[in-house]
Amino acid sequence: MLIIYQIIGNGFAVGCAYALIALGFTLIYKTVRFFNFAHGAVYTAGAYFAYSLSNSFGINPIISFLGAAFLSVILGMAIDRLVYLPLRKNNAPLLVFLIASFGVFIFIQNLLQLMCGAQILTLRTGPVREGYHILSAIITPIQFMIIAAAFTTFALLWCLTTRTKTGKAIIAVADDLYGASICGINPERVILFAFGIGSALAGMAGVLISLETNIEPTMGMNAILKGIVASIIGGVGSIPGALIGGLLLGIVENLGIWKIQAGWKDTIAFVVLILFLLLRPQGILGSRPRGDRL
Amino acid sequence: MEYFLHVLTITGIYVILTLSLNLLVGYTGLPALGHIAFACVGAYTSSLLALNYGISPWIGLPLGAVLAAFFGLLIALPSMRLKGDYLALATFGFGVIVYSISKNWVALTRGPMGLPGIPKFAVFGFELQPTWSYLLLVALFAAMTAFVIGRIVHSPFGRVLVSIREDEIASLSIGKNVNRYKLIAFMIGAFFAGIAGSLYAHYITFIDPSSFTAMESIAVLLMVVFGGMGSILGSFVGALTLVIFPELLRFLGMPSSVAAPLRQMIYGLLLVVLMLKRPQGLVGKYRFR
Repeated sequence: MLIIYQIIGNGFAVGCAYALIALGFTLIYKTVRFFNFAHGAVYTAGAYFAYSLSNSFGINPIISFLGAAFLSVILGMAIDRLVYLPLRKNNAPLLVFLIASFGVFIFIQNLLQLMCGAQILTLRTGPVREGYHILSAIITPIQFMIIAAAFTTFALLWCLTTRTKTGKAIIAVADDLYGASICGINPERVILFAFGIGSALAGMAGVLISLETNIEPTMGMNAILKGIVASIIGGVGSIPGALIGGLLLGIVENLGIWKIQAGWKDTIAFVVLILFLLLRPQGILGSRPRGDRL
Repeated sequence: MEYFLHVLTITGIYVILTLSLNLLVGYTGLPALGHIAFACVGAYTSSLLALNYGISPWIGLPLGAVLAAFFGLLIALPSMRLKGDYLALATFGFGVIVYSISKNWVALTRGPMGLPGIPKFAVFGFELQPTWSYLLLVALFAAMTAFVIGRIVHSPFGRVLVSIREDEIASLSIGKNVNRYKLIAFMIGAFFAGIAGSLYAHYITFIDPSSFTAMESIAVLLMVVFGGMGSILGSFVGALTLVIFPELLRFLGMPSSVAAPLRQMIYGLLLVVLMLKRPQGLVGKYRFR
């Protein structure tokens, strides 16, 4: 019985959870080019949507899961239309976008707290079962679902951005918004599309992770921070980078708390982030960051 | 009356924090999101010196501020290569790191149990006991901070800071060592935040990590933005409004489980509306391009 297998197994599952958040975040980042902190609020909202659909309205778990994803899409699109679109029209600088996204985050988090209370809720679908044994590591069924979801999402997004016309439009908008609109791409539609897909992923991630842990209103902050750290480690704006960054972050964190106290987990994540920003700011797979706006 | 004085004292401490962050965000254009970390360093330094070695807060406060400035240097050095949201995230991460050190290094900071019984400031051997005397002290420090930062931003040095905000490449092209200016701006900002933290610790006489969370940094940033980036008067307006206004909500007699999130919701909504309608803040004149 080697504990290292269990640690890496847990790190892998946690890393997949981070990757799920990072993938949606990356898709949105590709089109709008700022760190959308409100993504974390959509993630929290997704978990609460699923909770209220399944526990308060008594809807079948799978349908409420899909319903939560759908409501997250609406929420994400609404944020874009109501807040970011007017800002884009004003030609607002980066700092203004950043502050506004923080504002949206704080608003939604506290709205959820006001409506559902600050207490911890649990989203359970069935009895807790013993996990599967793989290489003397035990992986729970929900961890399996998270891992499967992360890899499926990655594969779908990878196909979307490289194989379809919409994907090409996303890349075009990511590269040059005005150039894209000259070529007949409606950038607003592409951005809205990215917000829709990205928010669906955020909501899904929220549901899956709260199946494994719990739901509380403040869970979004940690999630979005880890998602952003993961996508910076992997290379901001890179879909494979988001997956690799998430996995690396999850495994490093879990290896770290093997030797030191669990309270230092966040410190480990941010030390890794600052090391990356110093030594390889473009991340593992990214090209050099375009830090020329502010 | 006592309560009113208390609120004003807290406002004064926030004014110092807001002014010092305004130097970074408003005047130099650096999106620093970990400002409360410097206050944390200042607060813990002077409290620990006072509790463990019996050093007077009058010495502990400047020492805490200097250590905070040193931390400012620590975070600024690696951040010089970063811009925009990368810088925002690095400073945010720094804030989280300082917070989790204060929470997890139990041997030094007693972690979440906090540090009780921090001595108050004393003048000629008499502790400053009544609230009004503390208000006076904080007001003095706030006035000093406003004076110093006002002088800085109107000096040739400050004009270089503003030029960095406006166009970094242009200031490079006229031979200004941009990174050195940013470093110094960071250190000055951290120095005053350290003073604010130390004043807070010796006023409340108890500190624990929960006073220095990332949300607190955001609250200070909100005060800067609300009053007006790049405006000294704006910092006063921002801190005054956003500290006193939520206190008024207290009188509506809502249970705290409603009042606390409601207050935060209003904060969030204010931020968004301000960014949409008046990004230059309440009294700021400068329009960001």
